[in-house]
Amino acid sequence: MTKAGNWQSYERVLLPPVENLHHLDVYRGHGGYETLKRVLEELEPQEVTAQMKRSGLRGRGGAGFPTGLKWSFMPPVKPDVPRYLCCNADESEPGTFKDRQLMEYNPHLLFEGILIACYAMSLNACYLYVRGEYASWITHLEEELAKMYDANLVGENMLGTGHCMDIILHKGAGAYICGEETSLMESLEGKRAYPRIKPPFPAQSGIWGYPTTINNVETLACAPLILGKGADWYAGIGAEKNPGPLLYGISGHVNRPGVYEYPTGMLITDLLEIAGGMRGNKKLKALVPGGASVPVLRADMIEGVTMDVESLREAGSMLGTAGMLFLDEDTDMVAFLRRVAHFYHHESCGQCTPCREGTGWMENLITRIDDGEGNLRDLDLLLDLCDQMEGRTVCALADAAAWPVRNTIQRFREDFERRCRPAVWAVNA
Amino acid sequence: MADFIRNPVVALPDPNPESHFSEEELIFTEDEKARIAGWVSQYPTSDGAVMWTLWLAQEKFGFLPPEVLQLVAVELSLPYAQVYGVATFYTQYFKEKKGTFVLDVCTCFSCQFCGGYDILAYLEEKLEVKRGHTSACGRYTLQEAECLGACGSAPMMQVNNGPYAHNLTPEKIDELLEAMEAGKPLPFVSVTLPQDEDEMGGNRRTDAEAVEGYITPPRSERTQ
Repeated sequence: MTKAGNWQSYERVLLPPVENLHHLDVYRGHGGYETLKRVLEELEPQEVTAQMKRSGLRGRGGAGFPTGLKWSFMPPVKPDVPRYLCCNADESEPGTFKDRQLMEYNPHLLFEGILIACYAMSLNACYLYVRGEYASWITHLEEELAKMYDANLVGENMLGTGHCMDIILHKGAGAYICGEETSLMESLEGKRAYPRIKPPFPAQSGIWGYPTTINNVETLACAPLILGKGADWYAGIGAEKNPGPLLYGISGHVNRPGVYEYPTGMLITDLLEIAGGMRGNKKLKALVPGGASVPVLRADMIEGVTMDVESLREAGSMLGTAGMLFLDEDTDMVAFLRRVAHFYHHESCGQCTPCREGTGWMENLITRIDDGEGNLRDLDLLLDLCDQMEGRTVCALADAAAWPVRNTIQRFREDFERRCRPAVWAVNA
Repeated sequence: MADFIRNPVVALPDPNPESHFSEEELIFTEDEKARIAGWVSQYPTSDGAVMWTLWLAQEKFGFLPPEVLQLVAVELSLPYAQVYGVATFYTQYFKEKKGTFVLDVCTCFSCQFCGGYDILAYLEEKLEVKRGHTSACGRYTLQEAECLGACGSAPMMQVNNGPYAHNLTPEKIDELLEAMEAGKPLPFVSVTLPQDEDEMGGNRRTDAEAVEGYITPPRSERTQ
């Protein structure tokens, strides 16, 4: 029995198997927006937040912060001070594609979650920040949102309850850094997306200096489930300390890549089997369990490891966004790391020197090794560079760039050494 | 004066650049002004609408040279420097003229190991254009993109900042280019979830063209 319980008979709730669920009438036909109506009529805002806390839901955007707790950080309502919710749909972490599938197949679950969150924190407007690359999905969301306004599910006197809430779509334009919450706020304000120093945290001073809460798409989509089926039901799914359904985005050298919905706490080996095993019956070499920023795991490190915050931390990695990349035995880890370093160099916003310069030097050094012109001491120089970058910048991008470099070199050192020129003393001997 | 100020190593931008558009062209119509006003009303200040307005301007003019940025700045009553700052920060705003078709091929790690670079090389060869450049005929701009969020259907690319094309193979690219040359708009394609296939026997969206998410070994593997 794994932490995920009886997952073979698990019934999907985030992406239930219903045809055309993305249409408003189909969603309503399956009990959609009933939970919202009940919440608005029967529950006090504090009770909603209390239920979210009891469910044990942890944010699905990568950091894994408890959602109910985050909601409770919002200051008391002041009549003249607006407050905002931001939904972070700027999903740009390499290897992560779950939010796009959720917006494609079940956008109304997200909208319902947004409205419940608005009610719980007593606010009137949510900005839904979608990355610019998802232009097609933004069009779809706009269409469905227009239908919702027509049906009086959002806007003035929504559902006849006297509440007024708005959902406003914001289209990004291609910057990985906008996934960081403070730079997302800068971007919303129509500036270059430079992250801000925390504190003050968004709940004190967010967009335009007003109290703001920022949640991921999948996190908000869990709210109607928790309020509809009960916090205890939710807390009973999957791993104890990190419960709930989870969208696993599986990619790489597997036979059936794609997004899978299962409880948290699935064994990695089970997930590999579900995804059809390795392509061409090759052996697994490495696994990135949660997007590019998390430390990579060697094949011998995944035995018995489950996909939840605790278990992955013990194994020496992180859950991140649960975007899993499986790599087979033929994978060139130097080429892998070179591409990761290129990504961070390209996406560093340029605000802080250690990150702007450091990511560039990382890419240069790894490129040199990949081209066969690296020296052994370059590996130690890279590790030193990681130390110099980590924790020395405004946001966590520098850390996110340093972790994969450090861990890939440490865990696959032989691969790197083989590509380097031999040390001078070895030649002399 | 220091020598590097008189003789800068990097060429400074022309202080009076030639405009790409005539004065009659360089306006927003009433209809567009209404849309911009609609976006402005959604934010506490007009700053928030700058990204939407730049998108509109790029759709209208094709790219964002200084005179278009100036137009956006005037329309939103913002300093030119701020609009310039935003337009140059984000990769999807084009600062120079691009081809009729802009092909963004994803080569980030999931696509890299599923043949993204094979696809890029194939396109370079076929269109006779290097990555990051526009072909001599002015039809195609080929770009290497960072993760586009479709790792389950790698390798993939995005066309003109719009539709995605999944599970690319050389044959599929030939078909796509043919359709594009014939002026057919690319359809919205929905990638089937593996679980949907098991439980529902296919894709749940009936308004989209469905593709299976898992059929393409990279070219290098196939040719062996």
